[in-house]
Amino acid sequence: MGVFILKRLGYMVVTMFAVSGLVFLLLEVSPGTVATKALGAFSTEEQRRLWLEANGYYEPLLTRYFTWLGNVLSGNFGQSIRFKVPVGDILWPRLLNTAILGASAFAVIIPLSLGLGVIAGMREGSKSDRAISITSIVTTSIPEFASAVFFSAVFVFWLKWLPGTSGMAEGFNFKELVLPVMVLVIYDFGYVTRMTRSSMAEVMTTPYIRTAILKGLPRHQVIIRHALRNALIGPFTIIMLQINWLLSGVIVVEFFFAYKGFGALLLEASLNQDIFLIEACAMVAVVVAVVTQTIADIAYTRLNPRIRFA
Amino acid sequence: MILGIMFLEKIVSVPYSRGQYKFHWEMNSMSFWRDKTLHPYIPEIADEMLRGRVDRREFLRTATLLGMSATAAYGIAGKLTGGEMIPSANAQMLTGVPKGNFGGTLRVSMRVQPMTDPATFDWTEMSNVARQFLEYLFVTGADNITRPYLCRRWAVSRDLKTWTLFLHQGLKWSNGDEFNADDVIFNFKRWLDPRTGSSNQSLFTAMTTSAATGKQGKDGKPLMSTTMAPGAVEKIDDYTVRLHLNRGELALPESLYNYPTAIVHRRFSDEGGDISKNPIGTGAYKLTQFKVGEKAILQKRKDYWGGEPYLDRIVYVDHGDNPGASLAALASNQVDLVYETPVEQIDVIDKIPTAKIFETVTAQTAVARMQVDQKPFTDKRVRTAVRLCQDHDKLLLLAHRGRGIAAEDHHVAPVHPDYAPLPAPAQDYRLAKRLLADAGFAGGLELRLDCRKDPPWEVSLAQALAEMCKPVGIRIKINVMPNAQFSEVWDKTPFGLTAWTHRPLGFMVPNLAYRSGAQWNETHYSNPEYDRILDQASSTLDVKSRKKHMAKLQSILQENAVIAQPFWRSIFAAGNKRVQGYELHPSVYHRLNKVWLA
Repeated sequence: MGVFILKRLGYMVVTMFAVSGLVFLLLEVSPGTVATKALGAFSTEEQRRLWLEANGYYEPLLTRYFTWLGNVLSGNFGQSIRFKVPVGDILWPRLLNTAILGASAFAVIIPLSLGLGVIAGMREGSKSDRAISITSIVTTSIPEFASAVFFSAVFVFWLKWLPGTSGMAEGFNFKELVLPVMVLVIYDFGYVTRMTRSSMAEVMTTPYIRTAILKGLPRHQVIIRHALRNALIGPFTIIMLQINWLLSGVIVVEFFFAYKGFGALLLEASLNQDIFLIEACAMVAVVVAVVTQTIADIAYTRLNPRIRFA
Repeated sequence: MILGIMFLEKIVSVPYSRGQYKFHWEMNSMSFWRDKTLHPYIPEIADEMLRGRVDRREFLRTATLLGMSATAAYGIAGKLTGGEMIPSANAQMLTGVPKGNFGGTLRVSMRVQPMTDPATFDWTEMSNVARQFLEYLFVTGADNITRPYLCRRWAVSRDLKTWTLFLHQGLKWSNGDEFNADDVIFNFKRWLDPRTGSSNQSLFTAMTTSAATGKQGKDGKPLMSTTMAPGAVEKIDDYTVRLHLNRGELALPESLYNYPTAIVHRRFSDEGGDISKNPIGTGAYKLTQFKVGEKAILQKRKDYWGGEPYLDRIVYVDHGDNPGASLAALASNQVDLVYETPVEQIDVIDKIPTAKIFETVTAQTAVARMQVDQKPFTDKRVRTAVRLCQDHDKLLLLAHRGRGIAAEDHHVAPVHPDYAPLPAPAQDYRLAKRLLADAGFAGGLELRLDCRKDPPWEVSLAQALAEMCKPVGIRIKINVMPNAQFSEVWDKTPFGLTAWTHRPLGFMVPNLAYRSGAQWNETHYSNPEYDRILDQASSTLDVKSRKKHMAKLQSILQENAVIAQPFWRSIFAAGNKRVQGYELHPSVYHRLNKVWLA
């Protein structure tokens, strides 16, 4: 397993290297506009030229790239153009906020979707299966921006039960988390439920389940002892992949509810060509992708001992 | 003239001691109008007002502009016209009796943008946080009248080239230092230094000089450098600064309330050059917490020189670029005031029982401007055809719910004191078609109009304009761009819809946008005749004479069809009904020390 993890780490470093180089190249298409972003649209040509000179933009691309890379290796992600603070100062708190939002959403999504998926998959074609399946399909089909507007209209403007935004301006407030979590849950639980259901339904048709039923084991024992463990292998991978989805999937929710997270930060950095912030966000995304995939692979072997590391 | 002098003998003066104001008339003093620093035009305009040729508002604006203290000007206006002597907004200043409740926290929904160097501010929002603790030499109120602020009063030469600023004495920075002439000189020097990167350099071109650097740009042309003209700023004594301009400039006080002209401490650069980290100011509040993109918290200063402000605390909360979030925050009582409310939300606000709308008519606008050196706009007939397709009132109704005033395609607004009424332009499809045919486009033509995504009314306007142009065969393809991308091309695209903010005087935008070679001349329009009249208008004190120049300017721009300008828009800010004393400034500048909570 040690070799496997080392290989994965190596793979991650190569990916980060490639991604960072690509992002640098893409933003290089219009370097002059960086000065416009920093000094505003109404700055003069001379002022922009002096700014680019002072900030090293007249150095060759490779020199700038490797300087940046060297700084990153020593823990310095550079200065954000948009926020005018070191990238680390803004990135880590935002990442933590998204982790809080994501964890809260998963705390609802995982038990809800696994529970409903198992109930639906236990008796394929039953009324409960149909009801759960239809609900899952409907909720997954509603985009986040639509459900966000709907929930806002009901709980903020009509019933006046919940705060309309989630900026946590007066410190952490659980009530402000409710609406963003609700939107994420509604959008995502259906997908995981459907995956769990199909996995469960497949397991329920296997010969060893039929044998367990025929030898007279009570149904709940068949489900818990024999079906569940095998049925959860598929959903587990799906759930790990959802962490990746969440990093970009929260953009809409964070923007709508003014939640100060990673998604909103990435959106703002991209719209403002904030090169060092975009680079840092991209690096975080690569790390999260590789780490969650590695965890999924390791856990997979634990859940299913027939799978071995290559 | 004689009448004006007679009344000016009855002069108001307002000495003050900290926190308490006294008020007395010096009924028989002749000293004021004999003061050599008093501009000679003031008695003339007082006379004009008395004869009913100039209204009270214009008298106040011009008298304060020419160096008379606001209180004195209000006093004279009251005496001459028999109206309310002092407007209610100034009542507390004069009587010392508070009008509202002290205490409480005002929560405002607004972008909390990076706030490093006030000289490089490029958004009003960043200046709004800073404006609570930094102050300006002048202040232009919501009523479009400019008054002295850090400057006690000022005097100007008849040719408007020499401005003497008399600063308040005994006024303290929040670090205990005394405010003086060195602070003002330091700021001018920074603004006009190209390394600072301040847009103020374009604002005060009358104080700069350009010279070749000896280097060449990528296009082979010599690179020029613009710096402060030698001797442009002179220190007379510790509390008097004199500005020497290389041409007459009437709008200098107005320019000195433009948002990047906040006065910072003379050691600002030496102490880090970051106002968010070292927020030393002369203002009513002090910045106690600042997180870009999240919030800014300001606390009342007990020793403020201008009288105790009402609110204990002001909290700016960033809700991003989503106006829906600000609305939801207001509806759920998370904030008390919204920076600006889009016109699309007006109906919703009306349905929130705790909310109200602040509205003001402005000189804010959007112009469909055409670059006169880019085909097919090189042909005046094509430009005129686009202009003639507009039904201005209908465009106002379709794009801005009718909230505003129809414009006349010359970029001078009826709210400007120097606006000259012209016959309203009418839609004329027949003439437009004929002009297009003459220009060789009998079969119509296709155009691409670049516009930004936000605010949505700009897209609605582009769509409505495109529909109005269809009947004559002008097919406009609208290219909606994210705002950040649009800001890169706003002055480069051949045909674009550009939003222009409010400026207090009519000739200010023409100076920036339509003068030959001006920094923001996005249309590339160049007309020596227009420039000449603009020079005259910009240096003419007498409003009646200036209006004559403005009428010519307006006609030239309209006739040349450089822009299609549908309307002047009203702006809105939603707030809780508890918010009192807030006046929505046409440029959405916040100065909240007179706001209180009921």
